[in-house]
Amino acid sequence: MSTTFAPSTTKLEKLVGKRLRRREDPRLITGTATYVEDVKLPDMHHAVIVRSPHGAADIRSIDISKAKALPGVVAVFTGADIVGVGTVPCGASLPGLRRPDHHILAQDRVYLVGHPVAVVVATDRYIAADGADLVEVEYDIKQAVTDPEKALAPGAPAVHSQWPDNVAFTFHQNGGDIDAAFAEAEVVVKQRITSQRLVPNAMETRGVVADWKTNDRSLTLYTSTQIPHLARTLLAGMLGIEENRFRLIAPEVGGGFGSKLNVYSEEALTAWVSMKIGKPVKWIESRRENFMVTIHGRGHVDYFEIAAKRDGTILGLKLKLIQDLGAFHQLLTPVIPTLSVLMMPGLYNFRNIQAEVVGTFTNCVPTDAYRGAGRPEATHGIERMVDILAAELGMDPAEIRFKNFVRPDQFPFPTATGLNYDSGDYANTFQKALDTIDYHGLRKQQAEARAAGRLMGIGISTYGEICAMGPSVATPAGGWESATVKFEPSGKVTVLTGTSPHGQGQETSFAQLTADELGVPIDDIVVLHGDTSIVQYGIGTFGSRNTAVGGAALFYALQEIKEKLKKFGAAMLKAEEVELGDGVCLNPKTGESVTVQEIAGAAYRGVVIPPGMDPGMVVTKFWEPANFTYPFGAHIIVSEVDAETGDIEIKRYVAVDDIGNQLNPLLVDGQLHGGAAQGLGQALWEQGVYDDNGQLVTGEFMDYTMPRARMMPWIESSHTCTPSPVNPLGAKGVGEAGTIGSTPAMVNSVVDALSPLGVRHIDMPLTPEKIWKLTNGRNA
Amino acid sequence: MKIAGSAKLPFAAERAYAVMQDPLVLAKAIPGCDALEKTGEDEYRLKMKMVLASLSGSFEGKVRLTDSNPPRSFRMLVEGSGKIGFMKGDGLIQIASAPDGGVDISYEGDAQIGGTMAAVGNRMIDMTARMLIKRFFEKLAAEPA
Repeated sequence: MSTTFAPSTTKLEKLVGKRLRRREDPRLITGTATYVEDVKLPDMHHAVIVRSPHGAADIRSIDISKAKALPGVVAVFTGADIVGVGTVPCGASLPGLRRPDHHILAQDRVYLVGHPVAVVVATDRYIAADGADLVEVEYDIKQAVTDPEKALAPGAPAVHSQWPDNVAFTFHQNGGDIDAAFAEAEVVVKQRITSQRLVPNAMETRGVVADWKTNDRSLTLYTSTQIPHLARTLLAGMLGIEENRFRLIAPEVGGGFGSKLNVYSEEALTAWVSMKIGKPVKWIESRRENFMVTIHGRGHVDYFEIAAKRDGTILGLKLKLIQDLGAFHQLLTPVIPTLSVLMMPGLYNFRNIQAEVVGTFTNCVPTDAYRGAGRPEATHGIERMVDILAAELGMDPAEIRFKNFVRPDQFPFPTATGLNYDSGDYANTFQKALDTIDYHGLRKQQAEARAAGRLMGIGISTYGEICAMGPSVATPAGGWESATVKFEPSGKVTVLTGTSPHGQGQETSFAQLTADELGVPIDDIVVLHGDTSIVQYGIGTFGSRNTAVGGAALFYALQEIKEKLKKFGAAMLKAEEVELGDGVCLNPKTGESVTVQEIAGAAYRGVVIPPGMDPGMVVTKFWEPANFTYPFGAHIIVSEVDAETGDIEIKRYVAVDDIGNQLNPLLVDGQLHGGAAQGLGQALWEQGVYDDNGQLVTGEFMDYTMPRARMMPWIESSHTCTPSPVNPLGAKGVGEAGTIGSTPAMVNSVVDALSPLGVRHIDMPLTPEKIWKLTNGRNA
Repeated sequence: MKIAGSAKLPFAAERAYAVMQDPLVLAKAIPGCDALEKTGEDEYRLKMKMVLASLSGSFEGKVRLTDSNPPRSFRMLVEGSGKIGFMKGDGLIQIASAPDGGVDISYEGDAQIGGTMAAVGNRMIDMTARMLIKRFFEKLAAEPA
């Protein structure tokens, strides 16, 4: 057998830390990537789902006869047909959690607008849509309830009749001695703060292609997901099929932001239909369906109370958190508000907390993980409360933060909520942000602006977050990650990661790491993911875990394969001791060397097998982190409010983030910018609104204001670096930082601008209408 | 959604009351009406086309008249559904003689819409409803006295 070895004559440039452009981009920007919608199989059929137009109604009758009679319609199924299919899973394990049966098609009642009632399968998508229009459903409309506080009021309509109080669970977390803290307090301030429903709006809507092969009893499912392996395990359970006969492929995934960290009715339904008719079936979610039935984010009503001394020392924090869960639990619905509670102490050095979460059913689409997932809500609340406290005490908001930060000598820092912050120097990062923006100069400018009648604001957010999810004990389905490094006999390298990147760029950054560790050219490295038949197993991509957990697993796999390369290299060179570096294995005594490509080839030919070694050159590593990581940072926004129009102009945006070490700073910038766009979206524009009858009245982009490029400020981004001790890369995670840091900085800035008018708090989004009412002396 | 407003008709109260109960007249006056059949005492079956912003579709529904107090007032209940959603309305219509020999009509009620119409047409509904009602009364006013 003849093999070509890549020459390894020149020393390779180190790539970790370099701003390499994404290797993914050419296919993405030329429209040649394969998304679910691009998957076309022979004899593929199309499914369209008939959905409830009501927020709450009993189904009196369903007449499918006209739909079935339409030429091209192959089958129509309703809730009565799906006998034996499992319900939509929820991974939460809260004590006493009430779990409504979440069938993939409605049984005798619908609980939200968009609830799937029937599915029409046809040879063509348009025929299926026409068929869906011919399904006649008679409803007996009931009163819906969509506001979580109204749902908790006595006499409210019951979302699920067996639980008339609409409470799905209550969860308490207490730390320290809250009563003593409040007794000692010289100042207590209270505020109700909401965090509105948001529609995640991934650029690619969801979609599924299911291909059941009856003779093999095997299913191949293409679905736009962040968790291919977990989705396979859970869907296999719902469908009653074996995992080893079930291949799940997440092809190109056009964004998820948590909304695809889930298992949805439509995934099981499309698979079940394919099994039923014995043909491949495709279902593609329309944008309107995406607004209606893909999970929403946030949905909090929070009552905060903060206790402090007159000198600004924070003593304790109380929170009553009312979580709008929607009508059902999706995969992590009840878990998300518990993450908010964990994050309650922020970056501050107080040890007394009391939190109560009331998970509330409403006739709305379930809330679940959306970029930040619980931490943006918490950070917004704390950072607002710190500002409100500063205003109450007449303190500068920067000064009160310095006074309360956890100090560098306190790490690892156990929080009152049971976390153990890994590392940080909060004051240093904050000082850098203040210096960058010239904080004291700005305050002078602000005084002048105010004297001139202008409404200028400076908003600070010093945020912390929980990333790199996470230790398995703290996650519903395992928190480790896996990687395989495989030299092909030709010396080319294939990396398999259990993470499932969908825009984060690990095909690039993991190749950088691999190139540096193995000393092979980056063009010789391919990173594969998102296919359960190729990748060993993996947890997936969410919670800012790709680099800090998946990258760490890859790092350890690389170390192990390097050891194997050394052993084989030593055998080939007949040397006792060898050195491995720059893609070459060297006998330092003789100066003889072999390249790693030559070693790999030899390991496959099996000509020289060192004692105790097996042939081949493949290593798979599963790695379990011992802790979360805790990135942090300081975002400062300078804004000016136009009193005449209520318009808000962002004058400056300075972000200093500490995310530990970085594999590729260009990708880090991308994550921060995207995160900030979504955080500013929540602060200023976005809101998912249901009317009292359960209708989602923000059901398209005409009614739901997504940030656009021209609405974004220039972000002056820089970093400090305290490497995480939790993983060997020292990485902390950056996927959610921008979303968490930006929102409170924006709101604090506008509240600061309006503070001369006596404004203390404004609930998001800060629409021009709301601001105009405040600047014109009307109640917002 | 609350709906309230007023209109004028150049009829005497009795005539105004009668035209508003006459299926033939109503079929002409209801914008987009394809058919209006009497199905029982004070009950009609309605088929109409509805255009709302970028949406259009046909509706089938029921119209019921209750609380008849001729020629002063009656209540109208409308319920319909179609491809683009559903609507449900309940309104009180009152007729008062005006000094000019005509009548002042006032109406007041609640309307509920759902489905795609609510999700994507919400910001247009108020305006559309007002426009449809205005056209309805203009058509009625063109009837012979």
